[in-house]
Amino acid sequence: MKQPNPPADAATPYSRLLKSRALRESTLLLVLLCIWIFFYFATNGTFLTQRNLILLALQTSIVALAAISAVMLIVTRNFDLSVGSAVALIGVVVAVLTVKLRVDPTLAVLVCLLVGLAMGAWQGWWVTKIRMSSFIVTLAGMLYFRGISMIVTNGATVAPLPPSLKQIATGFLSPLASIILIVVTAAAFVAFSAYELVRGMRFGTVTNFQSNLMKVALPAAIAAAAAIWLASSKGVPYLIVLVAVCAIAADILMRRTRFGVQLYAIGGNPEAARLSGINVERVIFTNFVIAGLAYGITGVALTARVSGAIAGSAGLFLELDAIAAAIIGGTSLSGGRGRVFGALLGALLMGSLNNGMSLMNVPTFYQDTARGVVLLLAVAIDQLSRRRSATIR
Amino acid sequence: MTAAPDQADAPPADSPPLLQVRGLTKVFPGVVAVDAVDLTIARGEIVALLGQNGAGKSTLIQVLSGLYPFGSYSGEVRLNGQLLRCHSVAEAAAAGVAFLAQEVNVAPDLTVAEGLFLNNEPTLFGLIDHPLRQSRAKAALTSFGVELDPSTHLGDLDLASQQLVLIVRALSRNARILILDEPTAALTERETARLFGRMRALRARGIAIIFVSHRLAEVFDISDRIVIMRDGRISGTFRTAETTREAVVDQMIGQHMTSLSVRRETALGVQALEARGLSVADANGREAVTQLDLTVRHGEVLGLFGLLGSGVIEATMALFGASHGHVSGSILIDGQPVVVGSPVEAVAHGIGLIAQDRRDGLSGEHSIYDNVILANLAGFSRGGFVDAVLARRAVGELFDRLQIKAPDVDTLVGTLSGGNQQKVQVARWLAAGTRIMLLIDPTRGVDVGARSEIKRIWTELAEAGCAILLVSSDAEEIVEVCDRVIVLRNGRIAGEIGGSEFSEANILKLAAGI
Repeated sequence: MKQPNPPADAATPYSRLLKSRALRESTLLLVLLCIWIFFYFATNGTFLTQRNLILLALQTSIVALAAISAVMLIVTRNFDLSVGSAVALIGVVVAVLTVKLRVDPTLAVLVCLLVGLAMGAWQGWWVTKIRMSSFIVTLAGMLYFRGISMIVTNGATVAPLPPSLKQIATGFLSPLASIILIVVTAAAFVAFSAYELVRGMRFGTVTNFQSNLMKVALPAAIAAAAAIWLASSKGVPYLIVLVAVCAIAADILMRRTRFGVQLYAIGGNPEAARLSGINVERVIFTNFVIAGLAYGITGVALTARVSGAIAGSAGLFLELDAIAAAIIGGTSLSGGRGRVFGALLGALLMGSLNNGMSLMNVPTFYQDTARGVVLLLAVAIDQLSRRRSATIR
Repeated sequence: MTAAPDQADAPPADSPPLLQVRGLTKVFPGVVAVDAVDLTIARGEIVALLGQNGAGKSTLIQVLSGLYPFGSYSGEVRLNGQLLRCHSVAEAAAAGVAFLAQEVNVAPDLTVAEGLFLNNEPTLFGLIDHPLRQSRAKAALTSFGVELDPSTHLGDLDLASQQLVLIVRALSRNARILILDEPTAALTERETARLFGRMRALRARGIAIIFVSHRLAEVFDISDRIVIMRDGRISGTFRTAETTREAVVDQMIGQHMTSLSVRRETALGVQALEARGLSVADANGREAVTQLDLTVRHGEVLGLFGLLGSGVIEATMALFGASHGHVSGSILIDGQPVVVGSPVEAVAHGIGLIAQDRRDGLSGEHSIYDNVILANLAGFSRGGFVDAVLARRAVGELFDRLQIKAPDVDTLVGTLSGGNQQKVQVARWLAAGTRIMLLIDPTRGVDVGARSEIKRIWTELAEAGCAILLVSSDAEEIVEVCDRVIVLRNGRIAGEIGGSEFSEANILKLAAGI
């Protein structure tokens, strides 16, 4: 083809893919900003107070945890409809162990993580060995995980949890420790990026160190500043630290490890992945085991937050919120595309609507309706923007 | 089913030409794909459109067939003097421009009759008139010399038959001009001859045909005129009867080409890949390959030739552990018996495969980088973490070495031309340090220039000690590149040809059992 630009631009760090990803997440950030500004005025400023934003973060945390594992599964074209029930079952396990059997909380949490892993492996086995659609396997799981929770507790609430467990959801890291943690994390992130850029310069794959570093350092500095402001009076809730740790770990796993590359490859084209020598079955199985670990973490966090196991209603519709957050965050239902950071923004967007409308005393039914419309619009915008960029052949 | 009768009559001398393109320009972000093209096509003319990858052929025919809506390009397209303002392929078809895409995509669960009249069903009282549809389908198939039962499911047909159904479908809508993008890529010699027979019959009815092909022999066989594109422009037009292959190839490449051939002399090494008594059943349990023995040595390019259904593809997939049916027999690598039960094991043993259908081998929505690193994730990782900097450098080097034509390694593979996609697959195995390569129809849908480039690449690989098994339906290519060839017929070895006997004619005779 005739190229207006000489082919020398092959060496510049111009990247269509990264550009489109960045564009998509910045669109989402812009939408989120508009919603926040709207609520700021609609609630006479209450929405954007430190206190409310921390509350918002806490309210979003459970969906955020579930959304992280949803992204990972949807990227490989798999679904998990059982999250809500699985989380309820984990809640029953932790509550029965600590409340009824008086087991040491730390041990109980470890057992929960193991039970979660086992549940994930169980579902992964059906998907990869029996070759059933994950949709069906997890739909069944959604029913029997909930059923088992009800059988074990006979439908009764198991409460109250020992204080040390509740602490997970209600405790705060001290302001000083929080600020140190934020600064160290941001600095580590920037330092690692700089290290990679330096190596890239040495290999000749990166040409402009400064502008590339600024692209990383500037957003990191802004995010860190915002986080420090939020943490300055009471510190950061443990639950938010947990979400952040899980998100960073998942992001590194997806974008920096062999396993992660394999996830995207399988989602992009399973046959191509298979013919490249990727053990598709094993990767998908591991994917479900990781989802199981997420059940354990999310289940303990949710139970701690409501201070007891309520088999009937805990985690109800969590799977749908998680999938919605992932999709709003740019995860493609046809696989091969999606990022943890986007899903967190998606969860935050949904959470902001809940929180803001509650502050405005909007009745629940209207809230559900509004969230449905937002989901529809968010995905529509995504589709439209993709159509425009996909006309190249 | 029949062409409009008035088309058969000779048009008055002062009437406008059938198709007239003036100043057609189509720009994509960063690329001028078609640059001020003028083209006139008369009734009953068969025009071959040639050019290298990225020359703009595909874009030109896509504009003509309505794939890009009116207004997204500049210049004008007139059919019988009328300005075409099509916004979709359906509108173009209604106007008389029928288009058949290169990739054969059918809905496997439809019957032939349903496929032929999809979205155009004959109705009775608002309901589909099933008997009428069957009889019309039968008539349409018969009139084009296609012997198929209208109630067969499309998914049960082979690729060639599916394509014939699509051609019949395209023609059955009163087309005045038919546009075919590489119609013969998936067809056997016999089917190609049948297709050409139909094309000549259409020409006699006054229908014009534009077709893209990379097979010069076919172009010279069927076309009246050859139009060559280069860099988005028409660089030359020839009357087929008045030109030569050399002249056409020179015009396509834009420089004088010394020789198409890249044969060389290499000392053969020890045996790299050996199959003994390999029998393969297909997914339905039917035996596709029976008792195949073959040996590929390091530094050798072995051809495996067979017509459609001969078992060459099944045999190759079995060697890669990617067979869907039962496999028996033994496989040896470097003289050692190995178990290749899955592609994972094949790759671990240093075998690489370039799939027949590029859609099976590549992920179009991912970048060149993402696609290339897949087979060598272990090599690019340290402790499970992908060293992106190291991997990018390696991919960048392959990108330069194979001269992949794209802005950079982050370009989406789906936006590349066929030849460049094929290079991405080659790059993937080179990155993995693969020593044994299985190639299935690797130049299908790739233009002459990129072909000789790709052939040069694997000749170099063989010289560097790789063992290459080339499965091709193109006997000319086998003769050109391979050291010898094993020919399969009905799943069994029909013979082996090498040395002085090595010719296209001998291969085809052996394959056909003459």
